[in-house]
Amino acid sequence: MQEIVLQTNNLTKKYKDFIALDHANITIHKGDIYGLIGRNGAGKTTLMKTITTLTTKTGGSFSLFGSEEELTESKRRIGCLIESPAFFDNLTAYQNLKYYSIQKGIVDEKQIAKVLKTVDLSKEKNKKFKKFSLGMKQRLGIALAILDNPDFIILDEPINGLDPIGIKEIRDTLKRLNEEEKITILISSHILSELYLIANHFCFIDKGRIIKDLSKEELDLECSKCIVIKTKDVKKGTVVLEKELSTTNYKVIDDTEIRLYDYLENSAKVNKTLLNNNIEVMGIYESGISLEDYFNSLIKDGDE
Amino acid sequence: MLNIIKADLYRIFKGKAIYVAIIIILVLASVSCFSMSPGHIGINTSFEEQPLVQDEELLNKVYETDSILETRKLMKEYGAYPLDKGQLGANANLYYIFIIIVVTVLVTDLSNSTAKNTLSSAISRKKYYLSKLITCIGLGTFLVLINNYGSYLINLIMNGREFSAGLLEIMKLTILQLPCFYGIISLLVCIGFCFRKTGTFNSITIPLIIVVQLILTGISTLFHLDTTNILNYEFQYIIGNLIANPSNTYILQTLVLAIFYIIVFNVIGYRVFRKTEIK
Repeated sequence: MQEIVLQTNNLTKKYKDFIALDHANITIHKGDIYGLIGRNGAGKTTLMKTITTLTTKTGGSFSLFGSEEELTESKRRIGCLIESPAFFDNLTAYQNLKYYSIQKGIVDEKQIAKVLKTVDLSKEKNKKFKKFSLGMKQRLGIALAILDNPDFIILDEPINGLDPIGIKEIRDTLKRLNEEEKITILISSHILSELYLIANHFCFIDKGRIIKDLSKEELDLECSKCIVIKTKDVKKGTVVLEKELSTTNYKVIDDTEIRLYDYLENSAKVNKTLLNNNIEVMGIYESGISLEDYFNSLIKDGDE
Repeated sequence: MLNIIKADLYRIFKGKAIYVAIIIILVLASVSCFSMSPGHIGINTSFEEQPLVQDEELLNKVYETDSILETRKLMKEYGAYPLDKGQLGANANLYYIFIIIVVTVLVTDLSNSTAKNTLSSAISRKKYYLSKLITCIGLGTFLVLINNYGSYLINLIMNGREFSAGLLEIMKLTILQLPCFYGIISLLVCIGFCFRKTGTFNSITIPLIIVVQLILTGISTLFHLDTTNILNYEFQYIIGNLIANPSNTYILQTLVLAIFYIIVFNVIGYRVFRKTEIK
């Protein structure tokens, strides 16, 4: 069984009357790139701040690497970039990382050079932080997050304000860290299309509530174009699809729903074939939406 | 905790603020030693203090002149007196140096949000608080020693041995003053943790020393209390009084007050910081 890196149980954070995080339940497994998606003010940063103890929880609980009690010890295994990257303006990139490496008790100075190389900042190591562009600041933030060779990194909107080239660089860096260093990543953004290219698990959050938690395959399934067939006899329906229409490109969703990914332009033929084989069709229609529309529909459903 | 202190010292000695503070201290000491007129000599009116220069006519002449050279000439004519001891009586000025220390060590970290990098790692708030406090107190002590022994050495070089109280006396007075400095640093650290913004911190702490004096004077006037007696327990006056052969009772009272400051302000500071959301 895969190791659970982070698990929250009804995690709640209130600011007076405002509920910033409402009974949030998420589970992140080792090796995941877990995308947290939500509008500005949805609760993404609050969730991350609560996990990293930058703010106190009002209710619920969470565990890091299976431990609820020894959070300080568990936090040794995580690296973070919460909100915008913050460093000392008057220090260079190298000096800033040196400061944190002393703080974390890292003796080997090669580690600083290594993380600077990972985020492609080796050439700018002697440049003062105040002279850095936003992209360079974000990359230095990621360098700090991975300085201590963590098992789990938490990145809050690391692609915010970056140009397309900067976004690609961050994306490639994160994918490399996940694949080569086996680092589990929790990354938040309000740009679903960008997260889609990085993450393999998605969690939608709005008004502090988790409104959907699904894998990339499930998201693809939810969004891809298909013919939705509603019937009481799903089993017989699939037999007809295979025998009469020669397709296995379908998925049984539940006892009353089949999703067919072929014959997208000819739903009438599908309907006729099913009826001819005495299958009661309660409904048949085309479905499939863009990621943005899917996101919007989730938020709308949540509001309702 | 030691790692946080080491990291802060690395950062602080890479910056300019600490060197600026040292230069300010040494320049002020040099000017005072050259003019032979450190801030508080002979003007403190507290009952405990024995003025180091008691010639009122001379003091009036010193106050009337704007020339450092003229002041120096007048004070030299007066004859031998422990100028470096008097210099320590003006150490309340170090309050502003302590503000620089607390801003550099603590408030910048909280104000720039760099503290979140530390607190999101395996460092508890208690460790963070204690590390910052110890660093502030350590650097405060370092600068007090630079000020006191710097003044002693500069005075020896500029004015000669007859104007010095001696190394042992300077050491004794430094030890007497240190608890009060630690109390004041604790107050500043408490304000730093409570407000966490450089601008707010500066606007509170810079006028604080004057405001406290005004309030104490106001209260004593309002309730017809002995102003001098009350002011003797105000920071600036304590520092001045401690160099003028105070009674053991007074020393004990200031020590108790300093310990009270250290405990109360650190308890308040930590309790506020423990629940604070780190931006």
